[in-house]
Amino acid sequence: MRQMSGNVARAAAIAVVLAVGAVACGPDDSGAKNAGGSSDGKPQKGGTLSVLNNEPQTDFDPARLYTSGGGNVPSLVFRTLTTRNREAGAEGTKVVPDLATDTGKPNADATVWTYTLKDGLKYEDGSPITTADIKYGIERSFAAELSGGAPYLRDWLVGGDKYEGPYKDGGKGLASIETPDAKTIVFHLNKPEGEFPYLATQTQFAPVPKAKDTGTKYESHPVSSGPYKVVKNENDGEHLVLERNPNWSEATDAERKAYPDSIDVRSGLDASVINQRLSASQGPDSAAVTTDTNLGPAELAKVGGDKALAGRVGTGHFGYTNYIAFNPKVKPFDDPKVRQAIAYAVDRSSAVNAVGGSSLAEPATTFLPNQKAFGYTEFDHFPAGASGNAAKAKELLKEAGHADGLTVTLTHSNAKGGPKGPEVATALQDALKKAGITVKLQGLEANDYNETIQSVSKEPGFFLRGWGADWPSGGPFLAPIFDGRQIVKDGANFNTGLLDDPSVNKEVDEINKLTDLAAAAPRWGALDKKIGEQAVVVPLFHPVYKRLVGKDIKNVVISDWTGVLDISQVAVK
Amino acid sequence: MSEALLASQAGAAQVAAPASGARQFWRRLRAQRAVTVAAVVFALLVFVALAAPLLTALEGQDPNAFHPALVDSAAGGVPKGSFGGISGDHWLGVEPQTGRDLFARLVYGARVSLGVAFIATLVQVFIGVSLGLLAALGGRWADQVISRFTDVVVALPLLVIGLGLIAIVPDSVPRPVLITAVIAVVGWSGTSKIVRSSALSLKSLDYVSAARLSGWGRLAVARRELLPALAAPVITYGVLLVPANVSIEAALSFLGVGIKPPTPSWGQMLTDANTWYQSAPTYLLLPAGFLFVTVLSLTVVGEGVRTALDPRAASRLKVGVKSRKDAKSRKEASK
Amino acid sequence: MTGFLLRRLGGAVFVLLALSVVVYLVFYAAPGNVAQIVCGERCSPAQVAQVHDRLQLGDPIYVQYWHFLQGLFAGRDFSSGVGVVHCDAPCLGLSYRQDSPVTDILVNKLPVTGSLVIGAFVLWILLGVGTGLLSAWKRGGAIERTLTGLTLIGFSTPVFVIGLVLIIVFCSTLGWLPFPQYTPFSDNPEQWFWGLLLPWISLALIESAKYARLVRSSMLETLAEDHVRTFRAYGLTERAIVGKHALRGAVAPVIALSALDAGSMFGGAVLTESLFGIQGIGKLLVDSVRQVDLPVVVGVVMTTGFFVVLANAVADALYAMADRRVVLQ
Repeated sequence: MRQMSGNVARAAAIAVVLAVGAVACGPDDSGAKNAGGSSDGKPQKGGTLSVLNNEPQTDFDPARLYTSGGGNVPSLVFRTLTTRNREAGAEGTKVVPDLATDTGKPNADATVWTYTLKDGLKYEDGSPITTADIKYGIERSFAAELSGGAPYLRDWLVGGDKYEGPYKDGGKGLASIETPDAKTIVFHLNKPEGEFPYLATQTQFAPVPKAKDTGTKYESHPVSSGPYKVVKNENDGEHLVLERNPNWSEATDAERKAYPDSIDVRSGLDASVINQRLSASQGPDSAAVTTDTNLGPAELAKVGGDKALAGRVGTGHFGYTNYIAFNPKVKPFDDPKVRQAIAYAVDRSSAVNAVGGSSLAEPATTFLPNQKAFGYTEFDHFPAGASGNAAKAKELLKEAGHADGLTVTLTHSNAKGGPKGPEVATALQDALKKAGITVKLQGLEANDYNETIQSVSKEPGFFLRGWGADWPSGGPFLAPIFDGRQIVKDGANFNTGLLDDPSVNKEVDEINKLTDLAAAAPRWGALDKKIGEQAVVVPLFHPVYKRLVGKDIKNVVISDWTGVLDISQVAVK
Repeated sequence: MSEALLASQAGAAQVAAPASGARQFWRRLRAQRAVTVAAVVFALLVFVALAAPLLTALEGQDPNAFHPALVDSAAGGVPKGSFGGISGDHWLGVEPQTGRDLFARLVYGARVSLGVAFIATLVQVFIGVSLGLLAALGGRWADQVISRFTDVVVALPLLVIGLGLIAIVPDSVPRPVLITAVIAVVGWSGTSKIVRSSALSLKSLDYVSAARLSGWGRLAVARRELLPALAAPVITYGVLLVPANVSIEAALSFLGVGIKPPTPSWGQMLTDANTWYQSAPTYLLLPAGFLFVTVLSLTVVGEGVRTALDPRAASRLKVGVKSRKDAKSRKEASK
Repeated sequence: MTGFLLRRLGGAVFVLLALSVVVYLVFYAAPGNVAQIVCGERCSPAQVAQVHDRLQLGDPIYVQYWHFLQGLFAGRDFSSGVGVVHCDAPCLGLSYRQDSPVTDILVNKLPVTGSLVIGAFVLWILLGVGTGLLSAWKRGGAIERTLTGLTLIGFSTPVFVIGLVLIIVFCSTLGWLPFPQYTPFSDNPEQWFWGLLLPWISLALIESAKYARLVRSSMLETLAEDHVRTFRAYGLTERAIVGKHALRGAVAPVIALSALDAGSMFGGAVLTESLFGIQGIGKLLVDSVRQVDLPVVVGVVMTTGFFVVLANAVADALYAMADRRVVLQ
């Protein structure tokens, strides 16, 4: 999973801009269907789609991108072994074959995964796609020059932790990936991983022809396997122009519709300007969308009063949770009663308001996002109601020996408008005051903040945190945060509660053995509920995405995997 | 900046003789009615800032207390009610999303914004005058070193200075102090250049040369002859610095290195309010209006101070008025 | 004159090197683990160590700075994984984040910021000088009051507020102008103009108040001088006096001050560039500071420093040419 700090978000293809959102509708009612202003008539091929974004599409190299499900723009150029199902709502959380004929054949204990390529797959230059290129593409992602991707290949592949990439291996390659022939590829894992098909959606699984590899320069013109090829990449992803790849065969690709003839991705735009442009929908902006910018709170108020505009808003849910994190090694948070008191005292409605109100965030009492695919199991161990239970909190503080009140420091990021920023921090400060807890705020500049909270030695006791889905399942959501073996003592650590509970670790291993993902999901939910009792985190809210589209945009499909409209489905005619 | 130029901008070129008596200065200042009005307005603003706790107590509101019930959460947190939720309890309405009282935040914000801007201005003037005098009187080497040092400071971006100082200074130093320091470091160079060039031209004047010849030390010359003469350009320029400093505070806030929440400041309010222009206009217009009134009143006062300090200004103004009449009468005559 | 140029050149080299030293020191002291940021948050300690080595971050700061100086005067080579990226002198290094030479990045951005500064420059001169002239000539008129008020509003309102209001009014509500966007002049001059008009206006509103005051005060000064009285005595019309003689006195300081402002605007239009999505030097600075991309930050600061120093020299030279009493030092 990734947490949405500036740099990772930048690398993430589905860059989810920090402005967050939430809506009162449940996950099964994701707004996909009602979006798309002029949905009369069937979508047609042709035209140019504009994408207006805030964050540039930097590092457009399949080795370097950190995506959930292959990303949005990247997925137009890079096909992968598997991909996400391009359907609206919960259907869209499923994994489906892409370059491969199926989602992978595991051996009995899910440590060996075998894939076979479809027939007739070609690059943009007409040459055939082979499994050797997929192996090479994965190997490249281990090179220090091309860092940035997700950690799973390193952690799961046999020998992955020691491998330093193809530029340094003397041509030997990574032995745990076998390519017995040009159509077959076999992965050997060091432990059972039933969720491997999800991992195979990431861009590292896109083929890269070794002869065309230009190292760090590859990003300016990566070789396309998808429906579009890169014709222009200015200033590291500030302006991307994609055009139809004539060698892509629709017959081999059941997922991408590829209606527009060309796609123009512009970034570096101010969020409020993006929304002004989409709502005005003048000229080429009528065929424009954004993949990373939410409607802001001020704009929501305006859209609410305009029916035509409201019809052009797409609502989506991406698996993400914002929460309070405690470090139980720091006093007074070593005392579970103090942590519980804070859990009772939080005012979720004012925290939700701080990030844009009930249309842009839903209050959260579980760590897992409220979607079935994650195994969501409802619970509320420390019921605070909508605006906090100060009486119960005071009672617990008294039991903990803080009858005269308590002074604590809350660490937050200085990034304005973000879910870990000063707005949420001041909302919590105000709420805890009612329970007799005086909160001092410690705001850190974004890089400093990340470094501080991710370092076991510097980690503060009480801070704001967020965690998002690498793919819609409980595994990448719970394990990095609560599995004791994932505590990183000399690097970036995400198990901020420093929880090392043998029963939790064992259950993680047990669930990872399951290849039946439907059976695994409820067990993640049960594990979430069990961990929740310890109050090492206090979930605050899940963001909801509300995004405008231009008035000529058709076929808006928003899955619960990404929460944003899928560019591969959008038509402008 | 080019000193000759700045000097002319601030009227330093006219500093030919020490300012005439303080009584004359006040008489000339009071003679300008606009200046009196502006000074009263500005005094009111200062009063509001100083009396912030009193005023909010009168209203019965706390600047940092949230009122979630007063905003419409589903509509992004826009204040309920008309004109940004103005009511008997909340005189100027409430802030979107949080429901905090706008009046209380504005008056407390005045403390931070005006306080930071004023103190920063004093520090800027102090550093500027000291370095400017040192450059002018300290010989060629001191002049070169100080001038090049000034260039470096002018060329360093605000963001780099801000981040640098925030990184180096421990967190225990209060943020307003730090912001003041950042602004002071950014903005002293103009003053120093004005002082340097004015002092250089003053040095060659007869009465200063005479003082030096009669055996006065450099310090004595600086204190007794130069400083009084420099008062006019420095005060004129300094008055302009105050509003500029309020803007820098806003820019720092926009760049994420400003005053810490929940402390309000006008700059921070403006930054937060800018997208609310359409759905909650008062939220933007109030701090913007206060800032505008501050700048306007200070500009008028500054203009007035300059006119009063510049001995030739009065006659010049008169000439302007008279000559227009002359032109008119000439025109009539020519008909 | 030669002496002046040589001294200024020496001063410029000193200022630029001093700037680079300051940036190195600030970033050395600033928090943020560069290798971790470049590598990505989920990198293992071993991977971070590899990136650390690749970027030569383990060297003491004076060694890193020495490499920087070597690149500046002799060029440097960097590995791209499969080959070598050569960076010719003057090489400001390779961006940590973008892996391309900083000089290339700057060359791409200069026309963008250059376009922004040139247009804004023309506008603020027109608006500022116009307002100044009017206020010296016809004090108290309705037009003069409106223009003075406008320039003061510009002076007292942060650019992100002015800019957004302009966008909403002229692009969204009235639809008179396209949304600001940078198009290279060589691609389409018309789009270049319309796309930059609002950023120009925003900057001009902010800058022009200063010029209005400058023009007004130097005009009033000239009008009080003896030779102007003589002209009046000869019966010249007020318009001729203001237009021909008093204005001439105001030209020199206006040229000089505007050269300075244009110089510092190369790195100083950060907020304007961010708001309007104009991807110039200022935006590059903010982004690279956030990403702790030291080579880019040094490059940007030295570039802006160069323009400040250049403008300083030009301003002093122009001023001396216009006013014989000033001696070049």
